[in-house]
Amino acid sequence: MAAFALRLVGLLTLTLMVIVISVWALTIGSSDIGIGGVVEALSGAGDERQFLVVTTVRLPRILAALLAGASLAVAGAIMQAVTANPLASPGLLGINAGAAFAVVASLILFDPAPTAVYVWYAFVGAASAAFIVYMLASSGVGGATPLKLALSGVILSVFLGSVTSSILIFDKTTLDNVRLWSVGSLSGRPMSSVVAVSPYIGLGIVAALAFSRQVATLSLGAEVARSIGQNITQWRLTCGVVVVMLAGSAVAMAGPIGFVGLVVPHMVRLAIGTDYRWILPFCAVAGALLVILADNLLRYALPARDIPVGVTMAIIGAPLFVFLARYRIGNAR
Amino acid sequence: MRKTVLLLNIGIFAVFVLSLRLGDQPIPYSQIIGVLTGDPDAAVAAQLIVLEVRLPRAILALLVGMALAVAGAIIQTVMRNPLAEPGLLGINSGGALAALILIVYFRNESAHLVPWAAFAGAFVMAAAIYGFSWRSGASPVRIILIGIGLGSMAGAGASFISAFGEIAVVQQAQVWLAGSVYNAGWDKVQVLAIWLVLPFVLTMAASRELDLLSFSEMSARSLGQRVEIARAVLILLCTMISGAAVAAAGLIGFIGLISPHVARRFVGHSHHRMVPVAALVGGFLVLTADLIGRTVMAPAQLPAGIVTAILGAPFFAFLLWERRYVRS
Repeated sequence: MAAFALRLVGLLTLTLMVIVISVWALTIGSSDIGIGGVVEALSGAGDERQFLVVTTVRLPRILAALLAGASLAVAGAIMQAVTANPLASPGLLGINAGAAFAVVASLILFDPAPTAVYVWYAFVGAASAAFIVYMLASSGVGGATPLKLALSGVILSVFLGSVTSSILIFDKTTLDNVRLWSVGSLSGRPMSSVVAVSPYIGLGIVAALAFSRQVATLSLGAEVARSIGQNITQWRLTCGVVVVMLAGSAVAMAGPIGFVGLVVPHMVRLAIGTDYRWILPFCAVAGALLVILADNLLRYALPARDIPVGVTMAIIGAPLFVFLARYRIGNAR
Repeated sequence: MRKTVLLLNIGIFAVFVLSLRLGDQPIPYSQIIGVLTGDPDAAVAAQLIVLEVRLPRAILALLVGMALAVAGAIIQTVMRNPLAEPGLLGINSGGALAALILIVYFRNESAHLVPWAAFAGAFVMAAAIYGFSWRSGASPVRIILIGIGLGSMAGAGASFISAFGEIAVVQQAQVWLAGSVYNAGWDKVQVLAIWLVLPFVLTMAASRELDLLSFSEMSARSLGQRVEIARAVLILLCTMISGAAVAAAGLIGFIGLISPHVARRFVGHSHHRMVPVAALVGGFLVLTADLIGRTVMAPAQLPAGIVTAILGAPFFAFLLWERRYVRS
């Protein structure tokens, strides 16, 4: 029971930190609006300019960061549990690249649509990419080993990335629209696109939390899960749908942000152990915290430059990836 | 062997002539021959286009392809992994990052200095990958995974620099980074050729060592090879070659992966045959990729690196699929 209380306190503390940092983030930006101004603007009492800046620029950005972080981290945790593979994550396995490619392709082939429409393209792209990578990696002996998964994910990402950039070279206007988005950026997200994806992300996270017991069973491995009486195929499929929904919506909103889905589950596991009933909620909160921190610390430290959060995450996440590859993988050769 | 080399040379010659001929302004063969033989009556425009634009570009593409292929052949043997490639392992991204730092921060684009920076970056990267994956022996699995990780870090570093640097310089660097022989000139051709001579000769001289290394470590040792030294020297050669290629043409992927495989199908595993044939295959591929890239959607120009990725990634997937019953 002590462990339970401790974890609950931890979860609440993290949530509190997310709230505090979000409020702090509302005060960061090129126009000088203090905490009082933010409160005034949110309650509708402040002047017109403050209201506009806070509600149309800063609030959407923060909500996008929270949603993207939470959904990518939960998606990564589920993937790691289901594939029993410490390197599984939406970015590494080409899911983000697939969704990004589908969105760019739809922008070129059809007229510009609101986010509510192209989130569906992102779903289709994410699902196809996940399917291809997993098929390629799990064929043959040994199933989906970390090496084969990572290689096929990289290959698919490189391929789709190249096709995407060759489309973009051809089409300058679309390039301008998606250049920032395609490296994973939270800047300039309109409120409408945040609102458009939030139902899917909300549904995905609720589903993930509701099924966390089944995810925990899956994480014990196929034999154990089957002997406990779990319908593995059914739950794997469910988990796949949830992952595609979460990662697809996050990409449709903020572009392919890598490494969140890889790093956060590992940090959480290091902190609280291997029980996925706790890992999933912790991942949701910690993912939101990490992304909003990464985005806003840089915005605070280097106000003149807008560094895409995807780049920041890669710089934080890649060393951890190397660490994992060194100490967790390859002992078995 | 002789037949393969002959066929490849004919192929290269054909594509070479085509790349001199095709472009925004097609130039008839009679004029190309006139220009190349130094006929004083040749049209000035044709002279300018062929001698100053298309010829250096084609030669640069050829050299870059050869360099990438030889680097790939070396690294595949040294790592004893048919899926290894300097691009995939992040060695090239390390070189690109160092060159980018030189160009953006020091405003130095001299064709003589950039290869040194790229070589230094590639070397540091190779050393880091090898060092990080060394835990009582460097397992190939760890090398590849750590290479992917460090490579994406170098890529993120490059994006970081692009976000900070002055936009004009960055834009210039970006075209080069995407893997393009677009701004080829005689100075680049000259530098690359000089850089490559020594490593190529040394690689050919080391072909027996490469043969030995491709056996298991134990048999190489019992046949009298000093495995660690041979491996270190060969990795050094590989980083020199790929650093020079990156400095000349940015990140062109998959050539180092594909060419040795194609060459092995043609002439078998023995390195004194395989390496030169791989070089020819690589040269042919980059030359073709550049020709496709600049003609297929003209006037838009696709960097050769994008063409090779679009063609090479499926090939890699095929390799992965074909090797699915091989235990790594």
